[in-house]
Amino acid sequence: MIEFDNVSKQYSRDAYALRDISLSIPDGELIFLAGPSGAGKSTLLKMIAGIEKPSSGRVMVNGQDVSKLKSGSLPYLRRKLGLILQDQKLLTDRSVLSNVMLPLIVTGAAANEAESRARLALEKVGLMDKMQALPLELSGGEQQRVAIARAIVNRPKIILADEPTAFLDRDNANKVLNALKAFQSAGVTCIISSHDEQFLDQASRVIYLSHGQIADSWDAAAAA
Amino acid sequence: MTIWFREHLFALKSALTHLRAGTGNFLFNVLVVAIALALPIAGLTLIENIRPISSQLSIEPEISVFLTTETQRSDATALSVPIKRLLKDLHINGKLSFTPKEKALAAMQDSSSIAEVLSTLGGNPLPDAYVLSLSNSDTDKLEQLVEQIKALDNVDVVQVDSAWVKRLAALVQILQIGLLFLAVTLGIVVIVVVFNATRLQVISHQAEISVTRLLGATNSFIHRPYYYTGAMLGLFAGALALGVIAISLQPLNQAIAEFAKLYASEFRLTPLGILPSLALLGVSILLGLAGAYLSVRRQLARVS
Repeated sequence: MIEFDNVSKQYSRDAYALRDISLSIPDGELIFLAGPSGAGKSTLLKMIAGIEKPSSGRVMVNGQDVSKLKSGSLPYLRRKLGLILQDQKLLTDRSVLSNVMLPLIVTGAAANEAESRARLALEKVGLMDKMQALPLELSGGEQQRVAIARAIVNRPKIILADEPTAFLDRDNANKVLNALKAFQSAGVTCIISSHDEQFLDQASRVIYLSHGQIADSWDAAAAA
Repeated sequence: MTIWFREHLFALKSALTHLRAGTGNFLFNVLVVAIALALPIAGLTLIENIRPISSQLSIEPEISVFLTTETQRSDATALSVPIKRLLKDLHINGKLSFTPKEKALAAMQDSSSIAEVLSTLGGNPLPDAYVLSLSNSDTDKLEQLVEQIKALDNVDVVQVDSAWVKRLAALVQILQIGLLFLAVTLGIVVIVVVFNATRLQVISHQAEISVTRLLGATNSFIHRPYYYTGAMLGLFAGALALGVIAISLQPLNQAIAEFAKLYASEFRLTPLGILPSLALLGVSILLGLAGAYLSVRRQLARVS
């Protein structure tokens, strides 16, 4: 369960990234954060991961107040999350397999265990044949799928995806979304930010942000 | 295998990967640190070689009283009475021994390389002598005693034998203090060099650091590879400095051997023993570690 309780993020006197956001996301939902660029979608995701702290209000993730977590406790929260970032942030000097193993390695997992789980994650996103390739040898869609494999390898309960289809063609974007939907079906909470409205009907709920505020929110399945 | 051990193994592997990626820079830094370490190590080697000389020799004052060559044996032996009286007057507990000139000549012929020269003289050029051994507590009255002995009849030369040993001991002490200052200064230089090398490394791996942090890496996990790199830098530089000093003693010893021969000595500089060398390696590893620790703390606080 993720809860935002009157959360605001203010960078300067008149610059609000988020303004008085209150929302509740139950476990196992597929949420789309929609809205134009600069609406606050990425800031909202970053707050769940503890990358940004609210100026006021509180963000609760599985009963933990993220804004009050000390820097030493943040890594343990992030280990329970799967992060997919717009620019993937893959390590270009390491193989696809090494990149996917990394979330397990940082937790102190044994190398052979990390490798077998990374292989499994790559199999789920259909990239078994690219394991030894370097990220820059892959297409944009494949890189995004590597990022998804990296996000799911530690079996998170929550996946946060920031514009995962931003630079992909429709075919690759569908592959990425189908992969995320498959995890949601398995009980994982997926929160996806996107300014691309063509995929909104695939979400269980859409939260539309504008100027840092929730402008609208609807149940996409019911609307369809 | 425990998580702790696995994390350290991973950090070591990461550090080695960083080194492979920047071998040239690493070797250059090793060279710079080795030069900084070589100076105090050379100084320590020198002091460790000199110290036994000054400590083995007695630095208790010893006065040699040489009589004139014309002094008759009876007058010479009788001189012990006024010397003992002087000791008593000055409240000095000294041990007085008489060395007849024949005994002195025999000793010189036995042990000295100038035996041949002595034989060419035809006679005994040495005088009768007294040796007066004093305790260190009497050193303040030493000058007074020397002056009064000099005034006695038949006394030619009075020599305080311990003076040069004391000077050598004082010199070693000054060298030790100087070496300490040098070691501290160059230790700071080593820390600064490692600090800067680590800073550049952190900057070049900033992307990797931010990714691992997002994936749940703790600060220790991120810091550890840099600590290993700093420690390795200290280890290799320390080993290089010790090796260079040990090798450079060979040609130096050839020159020293020629010089020492003039004093009938076999003095030569020997490299530091295994324990001091290991201790120095430990110190250089700690210096590397300290430089890396300070740098990583500062740089990663900025990155976060």
